[in-house]
Amino acid sequence: MSGSARSEIFSRLRETGRGETAENIQRERLSLGSAPAPAPPAPEMCQAFILNVLKNQGSVDCASNRSEAVRAIAHYLYAHFHSYRLVAGNDPRLAAMPWRDAGVLPRFGSLQAGEPVALSFARLGVVETGAILTWTGKANPAANNFLPEHHIVLVDKNDLVPTMEKAWEKIHHAVEKTGRPRGIHFIAGPSSTADIEGDLVYGAHGPQRWHVILLGDVPGDAQNVARDASKPQS
Amino acid sequence: MEQHSDTFLANASKALKNSGQAERRDKIGLLAPQIRAAAIHSFDGFDELRQHVKEVRQHSLNNLDYYLSQFEKEAVQNGNQVHFARDSEEFNSLILDICQQHDARRIAKGKSMVTEETGLNSFLQGAGLNVRETDLGEYIVQQAGETPSHIVRPALHKSANDIRELFQQKHDLGARKLDKTSDLVVEARNVLRKDFLQAEVGVIGANALIAENGYSMLVTNEGNGDLCANLPKVLIVCTTIDRVLPRAEDASAMSRLLARSATGQPQSCYTSFYSGPRREGDIDGPLETHFVLLDNERSNILSSDYREILECIRCAACLDHCPIYTSVGGHAYGSIYPGPIGSVLTPLLTSLEQSHLLPNACTSCGRCAEVCPADIPLPDLLRDLRHEEGIKKLSPQRWRYGLKLHAWLARHPPLYQTLTAIGIRILHRLGRKRGRFSRLPFADGWTSQRDFPAPQENTFMQLYKAKMKQNNER
Ligand code: SF4
Repeated sequence: MSGSARSEIFSRLRETGRGETAENIQRERLSLGSAPAPAPPAPEMCQAFILNVLKNQGSVDCASNRSEAVRAIAHYLYAHFHSYRLVAGNDPRLAAMPWRDAGVLPRFGSLQAGEPVALSFARLGVVETGAILTWTGKANPAANNFLPEHHIVLVDKNDLVPTMEKAWEKIHHAVEKTGRPRGIHFIAGPSSTADIEGDLVYGAHGPQRWHVILLGDVPGDAQNVARDASKPQS
Repeated sequence: MEQHSDTFLANASKALKNSGQAERRDKIGLLAPQIRAAAIHSFDGFDELRQHVKEVRQHSLNNLDYYLSQFEKEAVQNGNQVHFARDSEEFNSLILDICQQHDARRIAKGKSMVTEETGLNSFLQGAGLNVRETDLGEYIVQQAGETPSHIVRPALHKSANDIRELFQQKHDLGARKLDKTSDLVVEARNVLRKDFLQAEVGVIGANALIAENGYSMLVTNEGNGDLCANLPKVLIVCTTIDRVLPRAEDASAMSRLLARSATGQPQSCYTSFYSGPRREGDIDGPLETHFVLLDNERSNILSSDYREILECIRCAACLDHCPIYTSVGGHAYGSIYPGPIGSVLTPLLTSLEQSHLLPNACTSCGRCAEVCPADIPLPDLLRDLRHEEGIKKLSPQRWRYGLKLHAWLARHPPLYQTLTAIGIRILHRLGRKRGRFSRLPFADGWTSQRDFPAPQENTFMQLYKAKMKQNNER
């Protein structure tokens, strides 16, 4: 059935199509250029990224090195769960973290029922949207993005890109070597729904909370934005 | 697609009498435009973006045979099976076949307008399968045995109280309380989590297909579509053939328009791109993936004067800004796609004979075209459909003769002006005392709801001419 449907559909499309050569089509697409992106909310990348993460209802922390990051994670886990346990993918960058320094007990693998927190190390952070980028694979099973109650994401400051176009450039470059991953995820906030009378509720199906830790030499002003935003919650 | 657009007028009258639903629609008609406007005003280049995406969309549709076959090639290379369906029947059968090949009993479904269009759920249920809608709004509507009333907010017509009663009826609640909205969300989350984990097949839609790499794009806020795409062993991605874009960047550019226009966000919570089955070394994800691509009139629309309607990105901004939609709601349209987009698309997907009332559900205010992120000239397309309706003599004779008379008069301005001047003078005299009319012949549609103000003595043209004369004399 599908075979004849396919040929019938394609023959109809060919009738309406322009019959251009692949070369001409590609040339025409190139001539259309790229889409404009919105201006960032601050000139400095870290600050702009943090502001957009906050706008997406994420919470943010900054850590200048890996020990500080582990301490920030321990602090977050204890504040919310009175526990130091979490699940993380088999990401070499996560395996190399000094977990013991702060007593955090990671389990490496895919999130299972009853485990409330997962940690991901983002491939990129997109300043434009305040989104983090992960893709599926051993380093970050999809379940870790979508099944936990709280999703903690580490983003290296050096992995921030200004726009989605720049993110795709990096993705294309990276997957040239590794092959195309099954799923590529731009995540911008906790799971949400406004399906009941327009009331916004977090934790529709995925995480109720989304916590981003920006790792590296984050400028003081950007750190202040993150700190100020976390004050009323603590 | 079950359709009853032929009773639009009766449906609309009924809808207007439901004050609770009307209130919720008023709220959407007031709030959604404000939220959208705020998102767009904070983005200087929005119009430029809209033009860019339009050019890319037109370029893709002009070369759809090329891009669709490029997509197919890449998708197959990524490990997918790609199927094509001419119509709803073929589409539904293809999906049932896949489910049966895997002895699947339980299907977890993400939001997909295309599967609404083909009536997939009832088809699969008829074959004994258990189909679960997992988007909260769609789940509510499915539990209630209804159809969505809005493209983006399917359960817009239901109050929190309606939903509470529904869950009390359908769920084994025990001691669980459902006082707050968040309780209702948690209740649905818990029920549906089991469905996700048990389903053998996941079915999702796609906001775009990417020709250069064979990925599909899925945009959601709840993350339910992603659970459907990642947990079951088999994944079926359903969309129509016109959704192809050349590059990944193009899909992201489109998502910039979509999120702002639909919900006022810079990005929806989850924008995911799926390429196929589990890769070597992956510890989760489906083992088998399919694309089922539906034509259902798209290739005909592409060669018609209505081809621009294929550029729609299903943001629902035209619904939220439409005075008719916000008055009568989605169900009145009697079709899956309501509002201005639906009033154009439904006659093209079915027939003008079945749906000719819909293009008349328009005040020609032009708001839809103003806000449409795909820059589709909706009022023009609606007018063209009304024109066809006239040619085919589908509207009542009274309307047609009335319009013909009006058109003839409009082509004879001196006569038109004389007659309107006489009419206005009569109305002015008759209504002088009370200043308004509570009943008028041929205008009971107006006067049944409100008084008609008595006009001033002179018409606009008379005043205008007098003013011009005065100016010339000075
Ligand atoms: S016609 Fe335009 S405004 Fe309406 S749903 Fe489609 S893209 Fe949105």
